[in-house]
Amino acid sequence: MSKQSEANLQGIPMKPYDLIREGLTVLAFIIILVILLAVLFSSPDYPTVRGEDVARLQPIAYLQTTANILAGNSEIQTYGPPYTSDSQNAQAVLGIAPATWFGVSTPLNPKEDFILQPLTKVALFNEDLGAALQTYQAAKADQQQTWLKAYMDGLDSATVENDIVNMPDGNYGPVPTLMNSMLDLGRAGLLEGMLDENAQLPYTLDFTRSLLYFQEDVDHNVAQSLNMLGEQWGISNETGPYPGGWWLWPYTFLYQIPPMSTSDNGDLQVVVIVLVMSLVLLFMPFIPLLNRLPRWLGLYRLIWRDWYHHEQHDTASHAAPGT
Amino acid sequence: MNLTRKTQDFLKDSLTLEDALPTQMPVYVNSTSYLFGVSALSALFMLILTGIVMSLFGPGWYHVSKIGRFFNSLHFWSVQILFMAIVLHMVTKYMMAAWRDGRWKSWMVGMIIFFASAFTGLTGFLIQTNWDSQWIAVQAKDAINAAGAGSFFNPLNLSQVLTLHVVVLPLAVTALVVLHLFYIRRDSPVKPLAE
Repeated sequence: MSKQSEANLQGIPMKPYDLIREGLTVLAFIIILVILLAVLFSSPDYPTVRGEDVARLQPIAYLQTTANILAGNSEIQTYGPPYTSDSQNAQAVLGIAPATWFGVSTPLNPKEDFILQPLTKVALFNEDLGAALQTYQAAKADQQQTWLKAYMDGLDSATVENDIVNMPDGNYGPVPTLMNSMLDLGRAGLLEGMLDENAQLPYTLDFTRSLLYFQEDVDHNVAQSLNMLGEQWGISNETGPYPGGWWLWPYTFLYQIPPMSTSDNGDLQVVVIVLVMSLVLLFMPFIPLLNRLPRWLGLYRLIWRDWYHHEQHDTASHAAPGT
Repeated sequence: MNLTRKTQDFLKDSLTLEDALPTQMPVYVNSTSYLFGVSALSALFMLILTGIVMSLFGPGWYHVSKIGRFFNSLHFWSVQILFMAIVLHMVTKYMMAAWRDGRWKSWMVGMIIFFASAFTGLTGFLIQTNWDSQWIAVQAKDAINAAGAGSFFNPLNLSQVLTLHVVVLPLAVTALVVLHLFYIRRDSPVKPLAE
């Protein structure tokens, strides 16, 4: 035995033990349990939300998302680090915004990267789109916004018939041509490929852009239907009747209560609280009161009940006369 | 200084064969609560085994193969059992105040294993390449970015998440588990609280 064990166990009676037998018995039990659960319940696999699905099933939502991004209204356009250099939206607690410490590591300009760059490539083999793109880019910013606002307003009363989006009459300039080209990209299943292309083609390994494209209304609507929104305990839930990441409940719980549930800095507030909770757990042996709590709770008596029973018995035996 | 002799001396003092493979235990080690740790180890063993099989075929395998789906299910339920066992292990060790008599290192390494396991679980959700990973990626990024960690860890970058989940984190968790077991066996099971 190690020196430490010899010192710790001095005077303690020992009993025979077989580590390998116990380990193998528990392992066999766990293997059987896992196999049973896998055979009986399988595992969840809810399909991804792809540009193609949104373009075919919800074309107006697709166009709203796309027009919103082109108008510069997407959340990512002014997200702050690590995507954009502006920091007015970087979350802060007590005036400290850790997001700004390391700058922009994943530079994104959704207007350009998500819409105009893909359209510029498609315009190489689509003259109408090329002309519309030229008109749009030659117009002043005010004019672009006027067209886009009118288009987004028009989308509210647009109808879909035989896969064609019918817009009410309006002055949309070249915007419908741009938007319909983006819709065609989606319907063709090419949106994600266009967004995620990079200098190392064909080795596309980073899906940041395509995952961010529908992250607002479209993804939120899907998440709501699956009971996975932040205010529904979000990412600790799993799709279907499966247990999710329930060990994250202390984390997701914090999103259910104010001020975290309502604050613009809610994520950072939750991170700070979870950090403090983690440090408390880590340094538990040294935290006064908390390290004495097990003694007061007394649940240890249940775990070592045989030991205490024998101890009492031995004491009583030794105390009894004639024994 | 002879490093080999130093190592031999260290092992003689800290981890004899009887510590590593004990044939006797203190009599107070007599409760099912002592099985939660080995249950967690067994689930970890299953995770590594099924993880190796899945890594041979890639993260998209289980979407298109029944065998892949079965291995994914084994992996999924092993995760559930791992966390159940870890939480029960943590709670019972807390109730036993198991950090007493200099065992704080076992406690602290154990807590770090829990945190590392939770992060490994997150990366596991992110490489499922299904709706879950899609949604969790865009949701988790806000907390990660707000904490200033977005420059080092991008949950939307599948290659980064995949290598972390398949290589870096399993190695880190396994190394921490070995250290945890070393401290546990070196220091022996904690004595019952004095009444």
